[in-house]
Amino acid sequence: MTLKKLRIGLVCPYGWDTPGGVQNHVRDLAEYLIAKGHYVSVLAPVIDEDAIPDYVTSAGKPISIPYNGAVARVLFGPIAFSRVRHWIANGKFDLLHLHEPAIPSISLLACWAAEGPLVGTFHAAAKRQKAIFAIGPILEPVIEKLTARIAVSEAARSTLTEHLETDAVVVPNGIYADRYRDGEVRAQWSGNTLGFIGRYEEPRKGLSVLLEALPIIARFAPDVRVLVAGPGDSKDVEDEIDPQLRHRFEFLGRISEKEKADFLSSVALYIAPNTGGESFGIILAEALAGGAAVVASDIPAFESLLGNGEYGALFQSENPQELAKVVIDLLRSDEKRRALAQRGKAYAQRFDWDVVAEDIFSIYEMALVGSNGVTLSSENRAWNRFLGRAGN
Amino acid sequence: MEKYFLFALIAIIALWYLSYSATRLDRLHHRVETSWANLDGLLQRRAAVALEIAKSDLADPASSLLLTAAAHQARDAQMQTRSQAESGLSGALGLLLNDGHLVDGFIEKDLLRELSELTDKVRVAIALHVDAVTRTQMVREKPVFKIFRLAGTAPLPVTYEFEADVL
Repeated sequence: MTLKKLRIGLVCPYGWDTPGGVQNHVRDLAEYLIAKGHYVSVLAPVIDEDAIPDYVTSAGKPISIPYNGAVARVLFGPIAFSRVRHWIANGKFDLLHLHEPAIPSISLLACWAAEGPLVGTFHAAAKRQKAIFAIGPILEPVIEKLTARIAVSEAARSTLTEHLETDAVVVPNGIYADRYRDGEVRAQWSGNTLGFIGRYEEPRKGLSVLLEALPIIARFAPDVRVLVAGPGDSKDVEDEIDPQLRHRFEFLGRISEKEKADFLSSVALYIAPNTGGESFGIILAEALAGGAAVVASDIPAFESLLGNGEYGALFQSENPQELAKVVIDLLRSDEKRRALAQRGKAYAQRFDWDVVAEDIFSIYEMALVGSNGVTLSSENRAWNRFLGRAGN
Repeated sequence: MEKYFLFALIAIIALWYLSYSATRLDRLHHRVETSWANLDGLLQRRAAVALEIAKSDLADPASSLLLTAAAHQARDAQMQTRSQAESGLSGALGLLLNDGHLVDGFIEKDLLRELSELTDKVRVAIALHVDAVTRTQMVREKPVFKIFRLAGTAPLPVTYEFEADVL
């Protein structure tokens, strides 16, 4: 990285204090850049303004709207817009990095209000949506202002080409790979264990697919156990489990980073039966870095992250029979499983922040060529040029 | 009376839209300029690194000659011959690196690392430039921009052949 210290503005569209992949990505990126000595300010919707780090500026309280199979906490409207303008005008930024600028949120507002070096990262991978066609003509001139576009996966990139007819450079999401490198194997989590991490109450995380597959797996591997980690109320889910299988389940609740590393080193297989709505699958990258052998559904994001099955086994999404088949196959052969885990671990190093942030930063440098920093956008720049006045 | 009012309103909206569109196109042209400046700078640096490689122990006399010639050509080329010159340099560098001989020596390793980093950057820069150009072309094709000649005297941006080679 160059020695020049930059003033960078990051815009996070989703509520800062609600869990989510985009938020984590923005937080990690901001902290990485700060550690490198840059000045970073993050603009995000915030619920509890007392509990935010120094580098975050609140844009107001988020509103909940259903989006992409989940509830998204975003923010827009005239008050938010004036706050966005205020933040841009006072920030004296060299560059703005907008996350998910194609959904109605403060990222889109910032893209509308700003002029200069703008970098946009597109996270979502969705099927063709009708709504986009309606707002496409409005969105296009705004998205066009971005100097550089980043997509977090091939799936996100093709979504972008399909919806907005524009291309992007693929830079994956980052993980701190060294946190997961040296997990210790814990006896209580090893053996024929299947690991699952995530908000298991959400249907799209696909725990029910694993539930259905379990009776078949248990027939071939009688001592199989399922370890579920992540926030949520396990009581409702436990009630749904067939009483004969209940003793095979263990709910660990929310686990710490250290425990997560140990968890990933210990379990025989990490299972990701998600049924969709996943843009990148950061947890898979972490699982691979932690040395777990991964079995995942073949949704586009997972397929591209796992190199079409090269670094983790895939099964047809929402097909418990196939999941069972893949799991049994891997549980039976230690050799196969170990080889898969090893390949995955080596591959996961490319998601390390040291690699990813370097890539992002080199795109920043390209966007900065010939610019004088970020200003509020002026709608009469064409007139300035026409009348021979100096513009940028 | 009401009819005139409506007419005036439509006229104002139409004028605003034209102004807005002209701004939009101006921004796109600016994007093309800066993305080209960026790509141009990186290509110049690549040629400089190629020259250093030609001088180093990495290259045998024959490929050294080839590389020096290609690098100079790429540096001095006019716009019309630029594309061919850059392709030539890519080819010469590719030949040298594909030979696959083992490298030892600190400076040599450093040079090769710099070259591969530059190549990655050039690839990204090309993607940015091509995107800016195609976008501009697309917008300029739209009827409003054509009829009202919103592009003014700005030349239609084009992509170069060597860009497709590298991608």
